This record gives sequence, C-alpha cells and structure tokens, in this order.
Amino acid sequence: MRTRSLSYWLFLGPALLALFLVVFLPLLLGTYYSFTTWNGIKTGEFVGFSNYITAIQDQRFLNSLWFTTKFSIASIILINFIGLSLALIVTSYIKSSNLLRTVFFMPNLIGGLILGFIWQFIFTKVFSSVGQMIGMESLQGWLSTTDTGFWGLVILMSWQMSGYVMVIYIAYLQGISQELIEASHVDGATPLQRFRYVIFPLVAPAFTVSMFLTLSNSFKLYDQNLSLTNGGPANSTEMVAMEIYKTAFTTNAFAYAQAKAIIFFIVVAFITLIQVYFNKRREVQL
Amino acid sequence: MKLKKSLGFLASVVLTGGLLAACSSGESSEDDVSIDVFQFKVEFKDQFEDLAETYEEENPGVDINITTVGGGEDYGAALRSKFASGNEPAIYNIGGPQDVEDWLDSLADLSDTSAAEAALPGTLDGVTMDGNTLGLPYNQEGYGFIYNKRVFEEAGIDPTSITDYSSLEAAVEELDSKKDELGLEAVFALPGKETWVTGLHLSNTFLAPEFNHNVLDAYDSDSVEFTYGEGFQKVLDLQNEYSVQPTASLDYSQQVEELFSLERVAMIQQGNWVYGSIEGIDADFAKNGIDVLPIPVEGYEENAMPVGIPMYWGVNSNKDEEVIEASKDFLDWLYTSDIGKQVVVEDFNFIPAYEGYDASKIADPLSKTIYEYSENDQTIGWVFMGYPTGWGEDELGANIQAYLNGDMSWDDIINSAKEAWKSSRAD
Repeated sequence: MRTRSLSYWLFLGPALLALFLVVFLPLLLGTYYSFTTWNGIKTGEFVGFSNYITAIQDQRFLNSLWFTTKFSIASIILINFIGLSLALIVTSYIKSSNLLRTVFFMPNLIGGLILGFIWQFIFTKVFSSVGQMIGMESLQGWLSTTDTGFWGLVILMSWQMSGYVMVIYIAYLQGISQELIEASHVDGATPLQRFRYVIFPLVAPAFTVSMFLTLSNSFKLYDQNLSLTNGGPANSTEMVAMEIYKTAFTTNAFAYAQAKAIIFFIVVAFITLIQVYFNKRREVQL
Repeated sequence: MKLKKSLGFLASVVLTGGLLAACSSGESSEDDVSIDVFQFKVEFKDQFEDLAETYEEENPGVDINITTVGGGEDYGAALRSKFASGNEPAIYNIGGPQDVEDWLDSLADLSDTSAAEAALPGTLDGVTMDGNTLGLPYNQEGYGFIYNKRVFEEAGIDPTSITDYSSLEAAVEELDSKKDELGLEAVFALPGKETWVTGLHLSNTFLAPEFNHNVLDAYDSDSVEFTYGEGFQKVLDLQNEYSVQPTASLDYSQQVEELFSLERVAMIQQGNWVYGSIEGIDADFAKNGIDVLPIPVEGYEENAMPVGIPMYWGVNSNKDEEVIEASKDFLDWLYTSDIGKQVVVEDFNFIPAYEGYDASKIADPLSKTIYEYSENDQTIGWVFMGYPTGWGEDELGANIQAYLNGDMSWDDIINSAKEAWKSSRAD
C-alpha cells in the first residue's frame, strides 16, 4: 500500500478500465437513458421521471415483482434447507460420500436453459404419465396453471442451486474444530442439541454467503424462467427480468424498460444489503 | 530486481494495449463493393448463401456477406445492436408499418427497382410511405387448418366439402367419434403456449375483414371492434374442445412434430412454413399426406385463406451510393432473373410474391394450395403487423391462455383487448 508507483497503477489499470467500461459506463448510460424516450434506435427527448412514475403504476410490472418475491422466498428457504441437509449427509461418516458430493453438485454444471427444457419434459411428460398410471389428477397438466408453474420453477431452482450451496456449507462444517464436537459428546448432548447449539451457530457465516447468493440469483432469474414457462399462462409466471426484457424487446420501449431495470436494481441491492447486515450480526466469533 | 521491475512494467503495458486494441474494430481494405446482409430467415440460410455465391461469381466486383439471426424478437434486438455498434448492414429485414416508422431514417427508396414493379398488387402496402417504396417482399405465406389426408379418407370425409363453419364442425365431430379406430389422440392440437398462433394468426383471420385486409388501416386505426368476434370464439372453442389437453402449455414443437407429424392428431392450425419440419420427420407424409383448409370466418367469407408477406428486405440509406445501387441490383437479380426465380421457388420453397413465376414448380402441397387460393383471390389479408406493438401476443394471446384455463371469460378478453388497443394508440 505504501508505494503507489507507476507500475502499481499500470497493473491496476487494465482491471479498472475493464470494470469502468463494462460495469460503470453501462450503469451511467442506462440511468441517463431511463430519463429519455429512447427506443433503441434514437435517443429521443428528455422526459424526467415520467418513465419511473409509469413503471410504479404498471400492474404487470408490479405483478412480476410480487411473483419474483414469492418465488425468492420459497426458493431461498428450500435451497438452504436442502443444501444444509445434503452437506450434513456427505460430511457424516457414510461410505461413498465423495461420490455423493459429485452427484449433488452435478446439476449446477448444466446450463439454466437446458435445465429448463429438461424439467419441462419431466413436468409435462413424466409427471402426467406417472399421474395417469397411479391415477393422481394433481400430477397432470403441470405448467399450464400459475400454481404449478410457480412450484415448477421453485423445484427446478432448488434442484440446481442446492448442490452449490451444499459446497459452501461443507467448507464451514469441516472447519468446525473437532474439540468442540467432542466436548459436546462429553457433556452428553443429543445429536439434535449438538446441531442446534454447536454446529448451527458455527456455520452462521455460511448462511450469510449462501443466502446472499440464493437471494440475488433467484431475483435475477431469467433463463430457467424462459425455457420452463416463458411467463405463461397469461404472463402470470413472468419474473421481473423477463418482464423487463419483454418491455424492451417486444414493445420496443427501451427507455421505459431501463427505468424498470433501475428500480429493480435498487430493490435487489436494498434487500441484499439488509440481509447481509442482519446475518453478519448473527455470526459468532470464537 | 531491476530486470523484474521493468519486465512487469512491460507486461502491464502490453496488457493495457491489448485491451484497448480489442476495442477498436478492424477495417477491411477492399476496392470491391461489399454488401452486408443481415437477415432473419434461418430456414433458407444455406440455400441463400449458395445463391449469393453464384451472384458473386457472375459479378466479380461484388462481395456479399450474409449474417443470419433467428426470427422473432431476437432479430429486432440484434439489428438494433448492430446499428448501435456502428457496423450497419446494407440490407436488412423489416416487418411492417411499425418497423418502417422506426427505421425510416435508414431506409432507401426502392421504387425504381424492377422487383418493386413485379411485386404482386397489395404486397407493398405495408412498406409504402409518402410514395416511397421502402421494402421488397420476401415471399408469401399462408396458414389454415393443415390436415392429414389419410385420416380424412378413412373417416369418410371429403375435404373439399368443408367450405364453411358448420361443415367444419360436422367433420370435427365425425373425426372425434371415430378417433379410436383412426388411432388419434384428439382431432386438434391447439398450441396455447405459442401466443403468436392464437393472438396473431387466429385473431388476424377475424380482424382482417374489419380493416379491409389492409395492414395500414389496422396500423392507423384508433380502435378495434371485433365485428366477427363471435366466429373467432367459435373456432377457438372448437379447437380447444377437441384438442390434446392441456392446451395452455402446449407448444409449437409438440403440435407440429410430436402430434401432427406422428399422425396423432388430424388437424393443426399452422402455415406452409411447417413443411420443412414435417418433411424432416416423415418425408413421404409431408409430400403426399397433408393439405390445408381455410379457417372459416362466420358471417364473412368462410372459404378464404389468410395470405400475406411475413417480412420485407430494406436497403440502408446511410450507406454510400455505390453500395445502395449494388444492393438494389442484388435484390433485383434475386427476384427477377431466371436463375433467381428458379432458386426462389425450387430451393427456397417460397410462394413467390412477384409476377412472372411458374407456379407449377412449387413442390410442397401446402404452398401449392395456398398459391391456388391466392390466384383465385380467395384470400384474407395479413393485418397483424399493424396491431399495436405487443398487443397481439402479450395482450390478446396471453389472455387467451387464461381463457383456455377457464380463468377469464370471453367478454373480458374482448373488452380488455379493446381497451389495450385504444390506450396504446392514444399515446
């Protein structure tokens, strides 16, 4: 830190320049465009906050925001629950735990679009065949209603992200000192008590990281949404990212879409920061 | 130590330089005229590139570069970024009046080309502004109920007898009653997930008469009345009732490939563009087993085929005069030279939108029937390019999904669609 020589800045330069060009500049330009009537071809005139005012009254945008929030809550709970459970399973002394780790992590290696199509097949074909076989009406017609579309997305997302979150939990679980575990044995703690009072507080930092990741990923979800339901039926399973994309590219209201994107950015940043702040306070220091 | 430091210095300079160099694009230095074509029709990409090569051989000074980006909204987005990057194409595609208005500053007048002169009457309506012709039609396309000839024959139904709604309904009921012996899952496959099938194509059939079959009338209209809305509902209900369920999540590939091509349904509402997909699955079935029937509009014309121009070629007016002229020559050659004519019909499988073509060369049965209807003037125009932006798919098509699920009544759909049309035209 003490010597900020020429080569210091030269080494930093490329990274700074790249960051400026691909992150800050688009953000600044985007903010500017959101105050105009830009249609993707011509910048148009300056209209102040009118795009923002229309956006917060736009029922479809609000619906998608609400749907995304519901989706995020459901998937954050499910992903972290499954992820932690998997981590506990593979860190316990069972055989083939290395193989299981690989298997659980695998879905994360498949791209979101492909996953969407695979699960579309499972939901519409496999589910309905099984439903027909065992005579369960509720397994038929998945993805054709709002509720099944919602749970379809949650299942898909949980299946994909759980393995990833599991890896984070594993790292923290293995970092727990054996002495503490042994001490709890000596004190006669039941496995449940051990988990609740020893392990759980010690993996709290993992919660901060995992929740941050799952939160921002669920909010920004686009490709799985596109390939699984494409917003249908009747745009009721449309998430914010897709709603913004459609505003921009099917109705050609680029400036308006940009304003929505800025609102979305603020909402996500706000929620994420609050989440990190509260989780940080919960972490215990040894 | 000294050496290490200077090495590091050098490395950082190289890195920074490389980053900056990557940002500036290379300029090609050629004396030839180079025409960049940016087009959306994936289906005929290879054949089109072959034809362009033939043209390059005939005209040594001309270099044609073709870029193809898949249809629909992706093309529009890609075209915008292409223009924004400063790397503007010389020839690109426009869809209808809205595109013409958006790109007006970048479209050259093509009225002096011989292709514009040969274009069939009415085909230039959508791209004519203040007496200037700003686009040249790709081809004609049409849609209706594509049916399985064998199934109809086995059920004892004569397709030529289906000329109005009541005869269609009777035939559908007949097929439905015999579907087990015919090996059918259902009579129809209605792809409610594809909002363009319901919200654009089907609605167009019933709205075109209201707008005199003219896309500009639709584009200029402040409101929509749904004069033939009742017939619209009937045809939709008929398809939905006798379709493979659930219709709201049924998609294009299920409809065309899985259900129709494998002969599990008797009829689908689609156009001549599906020929390639069906041929890819069962060439013999595509060639001999299918044909197309019109969609009846009750109270209007019950035996007419919706035929229209899906896309137009536009020439970029921001280019040098030399490039513009060369682009026009190429398009002229494509549609009016002997070799061009032959390739357009035989290799592209296009229904020509220009005069002077030999219709007997049209190979696929769907295009042939559609061309016959068009020759007999039994057509309904395509006006959906004149709908307010996003209205057909995002408003009407999406609401039809809710209707198919039983979450919305027909009256609500119509009222909501009327409102949406009015409010988007009021802006």
